[in-house]
Amino acid sequence: MFALEFPPINELIRWRDLFTSFNKISIIACLAAFGSMLLFFLASRKDPLVAPTGSRNLAERSVEFIERDIVMQTMGKDGIGWTPFLLSLFLFIYFCNLPGIIPILQMPATARMAIPLFLALVVWVIYNAVGFRHNGFKYIGAMVWPKSVPVGMRPLVGAIEFLSNIVLRPFSLAVRLFANMLAGHMLLVTFAFLSNAMFTAQTKQMFLRPMGVLPLFMLIFLTAFEVLVGFLQAYIFTILTAVFINSARHIEH
Amino acid sequence: MHTVAVVMTREGRLHASEGDTPVSGDTGEPMVAMASTEATAEVAAKDPSPIAPEGKELVWGGGAFIVLFVVMRVYLFPRVRKGMEARYNKIRGSHESATALRSSARADVASYEGQLIGVRSEAKTIIDAARQTLEAERTAAVAKVNAAIAADRTNAIAANEAARVAAVGDVRDAVAAVSAHAAELASGHRPDASKVQGIVDSLIAGGAR
Repeated sequence: MFALEFPPINELIRWRDLFTSFNKISIIACLAAFGSMLLFFLASRKDPLVAPTGSRNLAERSVEFIERDIVMQTMGKDGIGWTPFLLSLFLFIYFCNLPGIIPILQMPATARMAIPLFLALVVWVIYNAVGFRHNGFKYIGAMVWPKSVPVGMRPLVGAIEFLSNIVLRPFSLAVRLFANMLAGHMLLVTFAFLSNAMFTAQTKQMFLRPMGVLPLFMLIFLTAFEVLVGFLQAYIFTILTAVFINSARHIEH
Repeated sequence: MHTVAVVMTREGRLHASEGDTPVSGDTGEPMVAMASTEATAEVAAKDPSPIAPEGKELVWGGGAFIVLFVVMRVYLFPRVRKGMEARYNKIRGSHESATALRSSARADVASYEGQLIGVRSEAKTIIDAARQTLEAERTAAVAKVNAAIAADRTNAIAANEAARVAAVGDVRDAVAAVSAHAAELASGHRPDASKVQGIVDSLIAGGAR
């Protein structure tokens, strides 16, 4: 008899409270924030005038990565002031993604909708505020009546732009991160369950147990792949945030 | 016949089972059958949506991010960035001082090479002058030695001539004496000495020719 019992999805992604209103996702979010702060705190205590090593090297690499590969690529020199925000965003998302492959934790906090939604809403508020601050009410005007397109196309493009800026961008930001991390988590869980079920199967078919190495290899491969996905999703969220802020500043483009 | 049945239970679990239960359609191939109960839909309706955000996660996640951003913005990022700037400035300063040092070293090398060329030129002048002096002294010394040799040769020739003349005189006197004595023995009287001397002189002069 071969039995595979796959738990309901809510059992895999919803966690019981450890104490009032504080569950595993909350722990991971707090650890992500604390880990980021600890990294920079340790880095700030080291002598900055010597060649950076360890935590200082990691912190400086991350600052340079945000400045050189995100801010300068999307916003130019004017956007350097946004580095602390984008750096915090990147580190927080990355450290929330990483526990998906860390034993015991084994759950990315971003595989739940709350954190991606909160971050997307923060980004939405910020880029719209930046748009109004730099352009005043022209921000809305240029959005719904874009002068850079032919007159006949303006109502259609304007409607699309308005819908995109006000509704779709935060939604797509949140869902992209959430869906990718949830899908990765479900894949890991599926192959772990399958591998375990095949290794422990009570069956007369002798080939079934050794075949359990196949989902195990897939599990190992996907775990390595999730390292890349976690980094990539943090990078995509952060660079899109930079693009949205920059496009809100220069609405005429 | 082998069958594998995947069944969704009342708790919403997927359950796969393998057995020998005969099923319809006896093709000899394993068959997969799925069944669900009406209760499954009820359980699913009671469960919250897996997509719906939970308030507590929103609060803790949002709070953690806000704390991280504020601490980074106010305290940690400026300190790390300031340190990076200090090191960049130090490196830039070191680079500039190294460039200045290199320029200074190049100037020193150019100055040294200029001085070296001057010293070599001066040395060449001194060597040429010394060589000319030596040449002049050598020429003078050679001339002096040649003059001394010439004087010695003249003296030697003179001394030689004097000795020859003296020897010729001695021979003439001896020949004249012998001739006079022989003539005295032959004739019994002594010939005139001046005549004998004249004959001997003319004979010697004729022999010298």
